[in-house]
Parts: sequence; structure tokens; C-alpha cells
Amino acid sequence: MSAKPYSNPYLAGVGLGLVLLSAFVIMGRGLGASGAFASAAAATVATAAPESASANDYFSRYLSASGSPRIDWLVVELIGVMVGGFVSAWLAGRLRREIERGPRISNSARLRLAFGGGAVMGVGAVLARGCTSGQALTGGALLSVGSWIFIGAAFGAAYVVAPLVRRAWI
Amino acid sequence: MKRSSVLRGLALAAIVLGALAAVVGSPRANGSGVDVAALARDVETEQDHVTAIELARWIRDRKPGLRIIDVRDSAEFEDYHIPGAERMPVKSVVKAAFKPSETIVMYSGGGAHAAQAWVILRARGERHVFFLRGGVAEWLDEVMNPQIPANLSREARVDADSVGALSRYFGGVPRRVDSAVPVPAFKATVARVRGRGC
Amino acid sequence: MIAPFFDSGAFSETASIGVALVIGIAFGWFLERSGMGSARKLAGQFYLRDLTVFKVMFTAIITAMLGVFWLGRFGVLDVDRIFVPETWLVPQLVGGLVFGAGFAISGLCPGTSCVAAATGRIDGVSVVAGMFAGVLGTGLLYSKLQGFYLSTPRGTYTLTQLLNVSQGILVFVIVLVALAGFKVADMIESRAAGPVSQ
Repeated sequence: MSAKPYSNPYLAGVGLGLVLLSAFVIMGRGLGASGAFASAAAATVATAAPESASANDYFSRYLSASGSPRIDWLVVELIGVMVGGFVSAWLAGRLRREIERGPRISNSARLRLAFGGGAVMGVGAVLARGCTSGQALTGGALLSVGSWIFIGAAFGAAYVVAPLVRRAWI
Repeated sequence: MKRSSVLRGLALAAIVLGALAAVVGSPRANGSGVDVAALARDVETEQDHVTAIELARWIRDRKPGLRIIDVRDSAEFEDYHIPGAERMPVKSVVKAAFKPSETIVMYSGGGAHAAQAWVILRARGERHVFFLRGGVAEWLDEVMNPQIPANLSREARVDADSVGALSRYFGGVPRRVDSAVPVPAFKATVARVRGRGC
Repeated sequence: MIAPFFDSGAFSETASIGVALVIGIAFGWFLERSGMGSARKLAGQFYLRDLTVFKVMFTAIITAMLGVFWLGRFGVLDVDRIFVPETWLVPQLVGGLVFGAGFAISGLCPGTSCVAAATGRIDGVSVVAGMFAGVLGTGLLYSKLQGFYLSTPRGTYTLTQLLNVSQGILVFVIVLVALAGFKVADMIESRAAGPVSQ
């Protein structure tokens, strides 16, 4: 099955913007992603070591008053993201089991970089109170100063680091 | 419809909506919101309040559209109020409808409640709103019972004379500062003023 | 003023979870449609070959920004009830730098890594796992980071307050800058080998 080409980025961007707007209109809040990871991490700690979870000032925010995990809006939203992504790829013939990487890097090296890069993003997302969804898109549209600082810093750092990992992509 | 013309249409729509937004300024329905920066600026440039002398001149010169609002309770109002003032508790002030041509000056006992009402009215979008910073106390001190120093230069004497005249217009008693009699306290001033009637 | 609907009590907390799912599905749909689920395409942004990330992100930002402004202006949306992320100057700057570095290394961000994982990309799964580990580790070390994490707070702090211009003017300027950026992005892409297609 030949895969369909991607949508025009501007049209998809308008669609994405309308989704963000509908979140504002319906829920009075924007989108997010990294918060769901924090919720999941909190739930994990709460299950493994309940006392440390409630004692931890970061994780306790994502737990109920009694210290047990609770159903977080962002976690459900992220599940939806996976469903929506899956359906879109399926309909477009883009479902593919593969490891995306540049031509000059091995699969295992790519997977290690993916994990490492993900971990680094995790640190950054905690400090910044969000990621490209929660800070750049949501905070950006709402003109929050911290969010625009995040946008500039993230793009800037990515452009500086990219030449160092050129081998992974090009 | 061709893709490129759709995109061009969207870009044009964005520009038009953006330009109109720049003209309109505020994303709030009543056209204004709590523009905290503007409020802060007015506080710093002292455009938020009037002095008792300024208010007195406005009253004497019958400034058009002037409304003086006393936000204290009725007992205090009965005891003494600035001539021409209407009594309106803060609760009612924030709901009242003022005309654009009106100039509102609010005052309270010491000025704090009037200042708070000022913030609320400005947040509501009213433009010509002021408060008397020192409240009734300042009115009594500066207008009803102003202190006039004895030894003054020629220009200072002219100013002092006009303040004296202003004070007497309201039935006040200007006081020479080198006089042996001490400056009267607030209550005593009120009693004396009340005794003069009108 | 009827929106945000959840704030005006239109539906329950439980129903809001259903809303989360629907919004998430639409979110994931548009991410995948534009190719944001592909690490190679995303990474292309940082080698100036494929600027889709910039185009999608900023089109989304100006669409939502204009939407909020005009729905607010027409009194349909109470913009003051939308939760605006608060600002902590230094942690968000440093967090942004760190996040950007991780983004360039992994080629995906938290949201797109989920799309990648859901569409079969093993590297997407790896990024998800890494992110989880990073957030978990940082959370466990939180007591050591707390001072830094909470430093330089500014509360709810928007560009209108910082730059002291009306929101409308800011919206217009951002729209113009974004559209100019799109023009430049299109030019850069046509000079390079062209966007990553599959």
C-alpha cells in the first residue's frame, strides 16, 4: 500500500490551532503532554513507595489528597493523541513498524539517542513546566512571557545542538 | 478550490483579523479590562487623585458634570460631608451608571476606601474618576482649616491668600501658623464648622 | 458570556474526561497528518531542510491566538477565565534550553513521540521511555532542585504587561512576524532538497 503524502503544514496548523482553541472554549485550559508523563511518574512512585510519593512536593501535586493516583485530564488527552495519530496513519497507509533514523547511524545507536534525548527533554519539561504542547502552543497562544522564553530557548538550543548530532540524521 | 488560493485567503484573513485586533485593542467585550499597566501609570503620575484644594476649586468654579461621592456610612455622612457630596456606599458605586461627561470624585474618611473604589471603577472602564487622597481629613485640614505661615515671600503670599479665600468661601477658618492657639483636632474642627451652618 | 463551558458548569468533571479524549484524538490526528509523528521530518527543522515544525506550530499559535481575541471581543468567551501558564523566568529559560537540546537529539517531543509510538515507530517508544525516566528522575531529585525550580517567579505575566502595549497590537505584530517567517521558511525549503516527504 503506498502511503499518502502529508497534509499541507499550514492547513494542518490551522486544524491544530482550532483544536487548541476548542480546548480553551470548552475547558478553559490548553493542551499538554509532559504533564501526563509527570502524572504517570507520580502514579508509579505512589504505587511502589506511597509514603515517598506523598512526601515529594513535585509528585504529590499529581496525586489525590490521600496520596493515591488520580485520573489526570492530560493522561486521557495523551491516550487520545495516540488514538488520533493511529487512525490518521492507518487511513493514510502510514502505519509502519520501523526505527526512523538517518542513513549513517545504526538502529541500536538511534534507540540509545532516542532514550537519552527523551530523558533530557524530561528534565527540561519539568523545569519549564511544560513542553511544546503545554508551553509553546498553549502558553504561546496566550502570550505568556515564560512560554515565549521557552520557545526561543528551545529552538535556539536545538539549532546549537543539531550540528553535534548531525550523524544521527543526515 | 486551489490549494494556493486557500492559503493566500487564510493569510489575508489572518492579516485583516490582526489589523482589526490592533485597532480594537482589547479582547474583552466591554472594550476594556483591568489594564493594570495603565492603572499603575496613573497612580505613579498622580493622575488618580485630586487634592482637597483642587476639589474645592472645582466646586467653587461649578465644574460641569462634577459628582462628589462620599463612600462612608450614613452616620459619618450626617456628621459632616463635603458640600455637594452624595452618599453612595462602595457596593452601589460599582454598579452605578455614570455618564461619559461626568467627573467623579470619591472620598472616604482617610482615603483608603475611596482609592479602592477608584480601582474598581477604572477596571470597569470609567475614565474620569478620581479620589481625594487624604479623605475628609485632608479636606478639613487643607480647606476648612488651612495653616497659613506668617512670614511668606510675595509669590507665596499670593498663593496663601487664594487658599485663604477658598477656605472662607466654604465657611472655613484659615489659621495663622505662628499663632499661639494650637491647630485644632479633627472633631473640634467639625463641631466649629457645623456651628457655622450652611 | 458562555465559554469556557466547563467553567460555567455546563458539564461535570467526569464528562470533562470524555472531552479530554476527543480533544486528544483531534490533536493526534492533526499531528500525524502534518508528519509530526516522524522523527526524521521533525529533525529536518534543525538542519534547515524541512521547516514543517515551525509552520505547523506557529500557524496553530496564531490561529488560536486570533480565535481567543475575537471570541473574547464578541463576548462569547470569557478570556479572563482561561488558565494562563504562569511564568518563572530562569527555570523556564534553562528548561527550554535543556528541552531543545533533547529535542534535537531525539527528534521527537512528548506529544509527537506518542504519535510516533502509536504508528509503529520503535524510536518513538524509546523516546517515550526516556521521557518517563527523565521526568521520574527529576521528580525524585526535586528536593535538591526546588530552590532553582521556584526561583524568579512572575505569576501570570503576559507580553502585554511586559511590553506595555495593547493585546490587539501584540496579536497583529505576531501575525505579521509569523507570516513573514512562513515566507522565509518556504524560500529556505525550496533552496534545500525539499521537505522530507516520507
